[in-house]
Amino acid sequence: MRMVLKGNGAVAQGVRLARAQVISAYPITPQTSIIEGLATMVARGELEARFVKVESEHSALAGCIAAESAGARTFTATSAQGLALMHELIHWAAGARLPIVLANVNRAMAPGWSIWTDQTDSLSQRDTGWMQVYCQSSQEVVDSVIQAYKVSEQVLLPTMVVLDAFFLSHTYEDVEVPEQEMVDGFLPPLDLPHKMDLDHPAALGNLVFPDRYMEFRRKMDLAHTLALDLWEEVGREWGELTGRSYGLVEEYRMEDAELVLVTAATTASTARVVIDAMREEGIPVGLLRLRVFRPFPADIVRRALGGRKQVVVLDRNCSFGHHGIFHQEIKSALYDLPREGQPELRGIIAGLGGRDVTPDDLHGMLSDVREGRITEPVTWWNVLPAKDPAAAAMAMG
Amino acid sequence: MIKLTPEVLEDLPITSYSDNSTILIKTGAWKYVQPTYEDKLPACSHLCPAGNDISKAMDLMARGDLAAAGRLWRAGNPLPASLGRVCPHPCESECNRARFGGAIAIHMLERFLGDHTLGEELLPERGRATGKRVAVVGAGPAGITAAYNLALAGHEVEVFDDKPQPGGYLRTGIPAYRLPKQVLDAEIALVEKVGVHFTPNTRVGRDVGFAELRERFNAVIVAVGLHGSRPLGIPGEDHPNVYNGVHLLEAILAGERLDLPSPMAVVGGGNTAIDVARSLLRIGVEPMVVYRRSRMEMPAIPAEVDEAVAEGIPFELLTAPSRVIVENGKVVALECRKMELGEPDESGRRRPLPVEGSEFRIPVAGVVTAIGETAELDFVPEPGRDGWRLAADPRFATPVEGVFAAGDAAFGEGTVTAAVGEGRRAAAIVDAYLAGRELPAAAPPVQVAWKRSVNLDQTVHEEQLNPAYFTEVPRPPIHEMEPGARTTSFAEVVEGFTEEEVIREARRCLVCGTCNECRNCLYFCPDVAIHKRMEVFGFDIDAEHCKGCGICVEECPRDALSLVEVKS
Repeated sequence: MRMVLKGNGAVAQGVRLARAQVISAYPITPQTSIIEGLATMVARGELEARFVKVESEHSALAGCIAAESAGARTFTATSAQGLALMHELIHWAAGARLPIVLANVNRAMAPGWSIWTDQTDSLSQRDTGWMQVYCQSSQEVVDSVIQAYKVSEQVLLPTMVVLDAFFLSHTYEDVEVPEQEMVDGFLPPLDLPHKMDLDHPAALGNLVFPDRYMEFRRKMDLAHTLALDLWEEVGREWGELTGRSYGLVEEYRMEDAELVLVTAATTASTARVVIDAMREEGIPVGLLRLRVFRPFPADIVRRALGGRKQVVVLDRNCSFGHHGIFHQEIKSALYDLPREGQPELRGIIAGLGGRDVTPDDLHGMLSDVREGRITEPVTWWNVLPAKDPAAAAMAMG
Repeated sequence: MIKLTPEVLEDLPITSYSDNSTILIKTGAWKYVQPTYEDKLPACSHLCPAGNDISKAMDLMARGDLAAAGRLWRAGNPLPASLGRVCPHPCESECNRARFGGAIAIHMLERFLGDHTLGEELLPERGRATGKRVAVVGAGPAGITAAYNLALAGHEVEVFDDKPQPGGYLRTGIPAYRLPKQVLDAEIALVEKVGVHFTPNTRVGRDVGFAELRERFNAVIVAVGLHGSRPLGIPGEDHPNVYNGVHLLEAILAGERLDLPSPMAVVGGGNTAIDVARSLLRIGVEPMVVYRRSRMEMPAIPAEVDEAVAEGIPFELLTAPSRVIVENGKVVALECRKMELGEPDESGRRRPLPVEGSEFRIPVAGVVTAIGETAELDFVPEPGRDGWRLAADPRFATPVEGVFAAGDAAFGEGTVTAAVGEGRRAAAIVDAYLAGRELPAAAPPVQVAWKRSVNLDQTVHEEQLNPAYFTEVPRPPIHEMEPGARTTSFAEVVEGFTEEEVIREARRCLVCGTCNECRNCLYFCPDVAIHKRMEVFGFDIDAEHCKGCGICVEECPRDALSLVEVKS
């Protein structure tokens, strides 16, 4: 069925089609309309689920952990400060190997207070053991939520489906919403192998001594490795059913590209326009869009970028004191290439706190790198200049 | 099961769990605080002058065990059927249910329990005979209650009263439309069943000497109430058509044929004034209430004033009589002055001050005075009284050895429920006196009589509850006879609840401060350290495993658990 949906509406449709049984959530801009949509579906009987109202995001995820432990398919959604408040339980959900799906609407962290998009909130959860998928359209959102359950429930790891605030969460698009019957065939009901069993009572998550802890962590890491192939496989299977295939990354006009832009989320769709325009000018440019960030598809990245002349990584995030986070990840993956295959790598930080990244911006970045105007490893794009960086860092204005 | 010597990762479960650590790890050693079951005083019982154990009875009713609830209620209170009808139910004023759909209709449940325990089989068991004898002077609510409790304690009790039937003000001052006389008769019959002997038509000081009582009995309780009327102190008051409110009400309620003029002004704002006005209306006299302060300051039970207004009785407020105008031997009018309210007086109410030159006349054919009552205590020897009041100390004892006091003649609380509470407390003191125990400095609170352990120092208000567990359920309507139908008879105005309504209403009760075995503590305990007692009420906490986290205390909806420091 075709529907005009914004990204948040697409999340709700995906959760409905996945037949989530427990939704435990707390509202926060710009995530709110996701859970409002789900609450409406539950109230109308369109989704047979328990909607649990809680007093904080910490409790929201705790509710999911409890329900998932009992064998229910669960969902929650949040943004920025809400995700940060969940942090302790983000670790718990992964360590307990619970295939929870969470939608995070990327929003900049405060202060300064901001409700606009920025990836630092979700990327701050990089090392928790969750899988992360960055979406570029409402269509990809609905498709990814359903795929996330399928992958998660096979490797017993939780997944965070990530979408940009407003640029995606609140932008309406034409979306093909799959039929329930088809989704039911694709995604079987959850049968959690380690769910609570009243006949065999046990304390969950109990104390583990140093002689075992590492083994449990090794199992989590192996599950991530397993998930790499699974995301590809599930994306292909989805393609056979719907005509829309997905992989760990998306490559656009990468044949013979000497200059490659690497980015994620909605910026990638803007970038395609710029790539097309520069190709018209006869410049051999391509786009590598990161879709699944955890597990990190290092082999695919190396294969896609090895031997290129120049690579520009655009980060809508920053790990302060170092690079943009995608930039670091790409750089570390490329280190394993032989020296002669390593492209010149430039990182650009842009669009923080919801600042628009326009086609002109992208055109400018690519041209500056190509024409040698950007020589530093990391460049903050389009920010006020500093006369004296040390003084600027401490100036009271 | 986890293999104890895993050789490969496959031998390990997906995540850590244990099926024996909860028992093996003695988490009890970690605690520095520990939960303990501790019932506290619910807001309702805190305000109940009669000392009813409301929350416990509500829980029993909610379970459908009306017999147990009735037995509990009658354990120290012989007049629930009467009180359920006449008590102004202060218990409901701070009911924690109020913001979740309205206060519990406690008085309706008390009335139901009273009506359904009028058979003998639910009476408490009488204690072993002590051989001690107690005389009670006055068969009103205070005297009856003291006598009932003392008889239950095994003493021999005789109650003297100058009226032909026991009941005191319940019989002579409360009209049948509020309290049908057969209800009162049945409750008094139960008091006789527990061994209390009533001696009617016997006025102490006239038919039997006070000294003789002191000689024949080991203790005497004086609970004669207030029956003397205060005069208005205005010209014309001695006219035969100016009536004493207490005596007139008694005559009307006794069914005497009276030839009363109409209309009549009833002067006063207390319960007697309202009861007289509403009774006059029912025997065809047109009443009007004249009161010198405003509605706010009226001491009468507000609900009764509402009923009077609903029945169409006019009120002349901020009005004080200055003269009864008599022409040709007949009362033709009551001359009054308008009043205004000044600074608060010693009663805390604003003092009425006359407005100069505001005299006006209310045309009436008769006047009833009901501006307050006094005790008639001529028979009590001098140190035993203080003016027209009994000289009772906080122990309910008078300076006369072996003579105790209760009720309005001593404390003037002015309600039947207060008299019942004082009767219970006086009985406890007299029981201690007869046993030769040293008396406390003050009579303990009436709830001390409860046969269960309650921390009386802590009252459970809304802040002590966990509101997450309560949803709004509305208070049921209470059905009353249409005002138009009331004025021709003394039939009871308020209809009782059905058994089904009672159980449903009891289930609305939050059972504040009182464990009702809801099992929340057991469900929430992360150490599985709480166990239901087999076939006995309540739970046990396994100290070896309770780590003092306090979750049970936090999740108890009704504050029936407390966290206390562990003394090492």
